[in-house]
Amino acid sequence: MSKTAASALKERDHANPVGAITTFILPALLVYAAFTALPVLRTFYNSTHLIVPNKPSEWVGFTHYTALWSDQIFWKAVWNTLTWAAVAPVLEVVIATLLALCLYAKVPFSRVLRVAWFTPVLMSYVVVGILWMWIYNYEWGALNTMLRAIGLGALAQPWLGHPDTALASLIAVTTWMWTGFNMVVILAAMSSLPSEVLEAAELDNCGWFAKLWYVILPLIRPTLLNLVVLSFIGKMKVFDLVWVTTQGNPLWSTETVSTYVYKRAFQWSTFDLGYPSTIAVIWFVIVLAGVLGLTFLFRQKDRLEY
Amino acid sequence: MFRRITAGMAVAIGLSAGTTAHAQELTLWSHWADQASKVEFVESAAKAFEEANPGVTIKINWYQKEPLYAALKTALTAGQGPDIFYAETSQTEYMENDLVMDLSDKLNWDNIEPWATDVWGYGDGVYGFPLEAWTVETYVNSALAKKAGVEIPVEGLEGAAFVDAVKKIAEAGITPMAQGVGDRPYPGAFLTHDILLKKLGADDYASLLKGKGVKWTDPRVREALEYAKEIIDAGAFPPSFSSIKLGEAHRYFHTSPGAVMLQMGSFYPSRAFASPDEGGQADGFELAISHGPIPEGAACAKCKTIAVGGSYVVNAASDHGDLAAAFLNSMATPEMGNKWLEANLVQTGIKADPSAIEGEHAAYFQKLAAANEGATYTYGIPVQQMQGAPRETFTQTVNQAFPAGLIGVDEVINLMNGAY
Repeated sequence: MSKTAASALKERDHANPVGAITTFILPALLVYAAFTALPVLRTFYNSTHLIVPNKPSEWVGFTHYTALWSDQIFWKAVWNTLTWAAVAPVLEVVIATLLALCLYAKVPFSRVLRVAWFTPVLMSYVVVGILWMWIYNYEWGALNTMLRAIGLGALAQPWLGHPDTALASLIAVTTWMWTGFNMVVILAAMSSLPSEVLEAAELDNCGWFAKLWYVILPLIRPTLLNLVVLSFIGKMKVFDLVWVTTQGNPLWSTETVSTYVYKRAFQWSTFDLGYPSTIAVIWFVIVLAGVLGLTFLFRQKDRLEY
Repeated sequence: MFRRITAGMAVAIGLSAGTTAHAQELTLWSHWADQASKVEFVESAAKAFEEANPGVTIKINWYQKEPLYAALKTALTAGQGPDIFYAETSQTEYMENDLVMDLSDKLNWDNIEPWATDVWGYGDGVYGFPLEAWTVETYVNSALAKKAGVEIPVEGLEGAAFVDAVKKIAEAGITPMAQGVGDRPYPGAFLTHDILLKKLGADDYASLLKGKGVKWTDPRVREALEYAKEIIDAGAFPPSFSSIKLGEAHRYFHTSPGAVMLQMGSFYPSRAFASPDEGGQADGFELAISHGPIPEGAACAKCKTIAVGGSYVVNAASDHGDLAAAFLNSMATPEMGNKWLEANLVQTGIKADPSAIEGEHAAYFQKLAAANEGATYTYGIPVQQMQGAPRETFTQTVNQAFPAGLIGVDEVINLMNGAY
């Protein structure tokens, strides 16, 4: 090899340090393979097998998938989860935007309000669940006590104990919990808006609402859409809150896909992980499709520049 | 005789194993982490076994039930797990998958109640050591019943008499039955379960639950459900039924008495006999035990439920299976049975003599014996007799939605019928 060729190779090595890249990526890649990729692949494998201890796995083809098709509880859980994932992100982002606008407008006590509104997200679902079970308690819960105090005692009811109100009550809890987080992110986005654009709008005699509708919201649209997608993913996986409060009751009105998978895997007196894995696979596909669908729907064709 | 000899051999093997030079450790995973008297009973038995078998140690891990089941499922699937573990009779998956050892020639079954042995029977084997057992009882606050102007006798009230009593109690502004399903899949079903059992008799009822023979569309089932619905509609349960937890139902009945009756397993004393400031019965509480509601045309008015609760099984993959069985055998004696009764105030599958119990709780056991005199038993509450979709549907409907007044008789029949 000529001296020139060797030095060229050395330069290429600097440009593309394969060894260094491998050293940095390999540990993370191994962790990812062991704890994410492998379990996912194993779940796909399980979904087409009967997995029981002391016996070799038995290939059952798509038996679990066809059984799932006629599983009424599964479809009830799908409906509940999709309802939650459709309603909660919209509520959270809309309310969070309004709260962020309040803070952006520097209403009195805005510092205190910012902390107060953000605090719920610092609590775990278990704590939040217990707290709201108390609030929703029929006899001495804060909600019914308030209703009775203002003469609306007829509206008092076991909020988590009735199929008509249970899911809505839990959606209200996640909205209460996550709105503060969304608010902080939106506030950060608003605070980083270019002042010259806002000033230009004011110079054009743009009113408060017009400035919000035509300037601020379009500029923070990517942030809002990201929050919607994140919230959607979170609600499609919701488990802890349901488990602490209702365990899917009453009459499966709060059953989610995650709680149903857990019940099938650990509470149905069977060791077979095949059927729960099938639910997990189907749900993985639905969540993936949902995220891709949202991303496509919200794709911003005309990228805003400022 | 054969069982006695083989059980003796098992003990001998266990003892000889214990006296060998090398140390052996038995591992035990058990529920009851928060039940001090049961922990104390098992740990003292383990200590006695260790002393009798030098070189043997028993390492016990105490869990709550749900985490225990999840841990066992993972461990057993991987061919691991402890030598001995807690199980309940509904967990037939252990036997189906050959995960637990057949104890039929390893325990001294002469010291175990025959019904408790039968409950753990599966195929040709017997797989569990039935340490805890309980009956379903209707506990009554006599003073509060008197205040409401009703009397609920030990033998129970039949047909409309029970409905009238419930109405009268409700009209007096008192809750007839403290009950809630906030954290358990079974207490809300006690009322309907008891009525169905009496209406159908033990055999037909078992057939109904297992989906073999009697259907939920059977006219007798409808009549029983309609009777239960009458009681529910008379205002039997508190409005917060759906969210009340087991402990809260207890306190509602006996600590701050607000209800006349509480249908509960006879593990009632484990909470009720604590001091009032720890959630036990109020001072001077007048406790009675009754037979509960009896439907018209009952096939078995004296039918009751006896359930084998917490039991121990031996891991089939254990390297110390015989030693593990020997430890269980060390608890299968009448003396240990009586000790269990005195310490835990709940029945056991070990043959014991409740009449031998003296002291402050003797009267309770006499009342319990009176309420069970001449009873015919079914073995296990519904959630112990059912599996899969029927069990889940029963939990959601008969345990919760039906007693909460959310659905009627037709919906129960349709949902249950569709679950099999």
